[in-house]
Amino acid sequence: MTRGERNARQSKAWLVWLGLLPFFLFGLAFEIIPVLTLVRSSFTDKGALTLNHFERALTPLFIESFRNSIQLSAATAFLGVVFGTLVAHAIVTTRNRFVREAITALADVTTNFGGAPLAFAFIVVLGSTGVVTLILKMVGLNLYPTTFRVYSIQGLTVAYLYFQLPLMILLIIPSLLGLRREWREAAINLGASSFQYWLRVALPFLAPSLLGGFLLLFANAFGAYATAWTLTGPDVNLVTVQIAALVRGEVQLDPALADALAMLSLLVMTICVAGYQWLGGRARKGAR
Amino acid sequence: MTQFASASKDRGIWRGIVLALFLTFMIVPFLATVLFSISVRWDRTIFPEGLTLEWWERVTSRSAFETTLTNSLIVSLVTMFALALLVTPTAYWAHLRVPRGKPFIEFLTIIPFGIPGVVLALALIRFYSDVPLPLINTPNILVAACMVIALPFMYRPVANALDAVDIHTLTEAAQSLGAGWRQTLWRVILPNIMPGVIGGCLLVFSTVFAEFTLTNLLVGARFKTFPIYLVEFTRFDGRQASALAVISFVVAWLTSLLIIWIAGRGGRPAEALGAR
Repeated sequence: MTRGERNARQSKAWLVWLGLLPFFLFGLAFEIIPVLTLVRSSFTDKGALTLNHFERALTPLFIESFRNSIQLSAATAFLGVVFGTLVAHAIVTTRNRFVREAITALADVTTNFGGAPLAFAFIVVLGSTGVVTLILKMVGLNLYPTTFRVYSIQGLTVAYLYFQLPLMILLIIPSLLGLRREWREAAINLGASSFQYWLRVALPFLAPSLLGGFLLLFANAFGAYATAWTLTGPDVNLVTVQIAALVRGEVQLDPALADALAMLSLLVMTICVAGYQWLGGRARKGAR
Repeated sequence: MTQFASASKDRGIWRGIVLALFLTFMIVPFLATVLFSISVRWDRTIFPEGLTLEWWERVTSRSAFETTLTNSLIVSLVTMFALALLVTPTAYWAHLRVPRGKPFIEFLTIIPFGIPGVVLALALIRFYSDVPLPLINTPNILVAACMVIALPFMYRPVANALDAVDIHTLTEAAQSLGAGWRQTLWRVILPNIMPGVIGGCLLVFSTVFAEFTLTNLLVGARFKTFPIYLVEFTRFDGRQASALAVISFVVAWLTSLLIIWIAGRGGRPAEALGAR
């Protein structure tokens, strides 16, 4: 091969990347560069490096918004993981094929569902004159005005579970299918109780998937806005609600402050999604 | 032995209770909304005080109903076709000739999961308000933003479909018979990965059709979509809002059922994180 030929080859090898150019340009224009603009502006003031914007973001109002968002996300992720796994276990162990497929399909259908119609449905069911509220009242359990309000963090917790549960079910089913029947039989034959089997064999095997599921569900709830906005308006102080208010200029026109809040929430989200990816790789390796 | 049998029977009952509770939780909000939308009044008694179609007639006869529904359809369809056009050739080319480019593509398709809708809207506004392009405050920026959040939903099914067929052999066969790149992609590869492309398109459609956050922050009242219209109604007339909510439920559920039907059994990995 002459030098010219080799050069031609190399330049050709480089040219095939041109086919991916439109996609990379799109990613740069609408993902990378806008987000990097946020990073830069949150750390600078008139060109000089500063942490000033983050200091201003640490007011009691915004700290509370982070506390509320983290509590809501952690609670719905935890409940989603526990009950989602329970339902998924019931799905994979049922012998009725129709039930198994129908409920998996239901999870598939509902996991992409959220936002305004979901929030509204929960007002119809659990609002101050909702049907479940009325039924509970009849049996002597008064939700309103003190026990429960749907237009609050409590209501959001219940509404978020409507998309968290199906997501967890879909995430954990493949791992549950990876639990071999022989493992259980071997454990029982060696004298383990059912509880010991779950604690010593099944749980360690499922751990990466459960933790990964928790992180993804956490991110799912942390970034949510439409459901919270429809259900509670500005009443519940969440990070996304605060950022949206700053974007709309409702509170005050202070873009750098919004950028700093956005950076903090991106930090939380990045940890969750990166952790999920890492654990997902481990879970896949474990299942092999 | 008898102990064993009774234990498994107990587990059967336990399983039935768990599944029944889950079904109730998932179905009741939908059924209650449907019933609410056709009730004369349902806020004082356990059962509705009579049935009526009045709220449906009222809400669907408004001109805004048609406008917002059309706007949502336009944004969803434009986003869907634009993404299909961007992602399918890119994924094919990367699978065929630039496997080393795949990690970069996958990175760009994971990013949307890590950016909350409000943050994406903020980032786009902050950057594009200084760029002299017809983007800011127009439906164009909305389509671009919707393309970002729906990117993973398009890429995954297409990439999975490409993994499942031998695109190298197909491409070589097509080209040895004299087909050009465009012909190969359009006439040979596309028919083979069609279920993936259609599945991705439907997922994109249902995600964008239900999109509220980006629309609200990027275009607001300038370009009202169906979810925006619904949220406005929840604030002042619950019964008409319930009819709109039922429509949203039905659109989302029908598209999902269509996706499941096309994907056939065997299931796809969870692709969630849609319009929250």
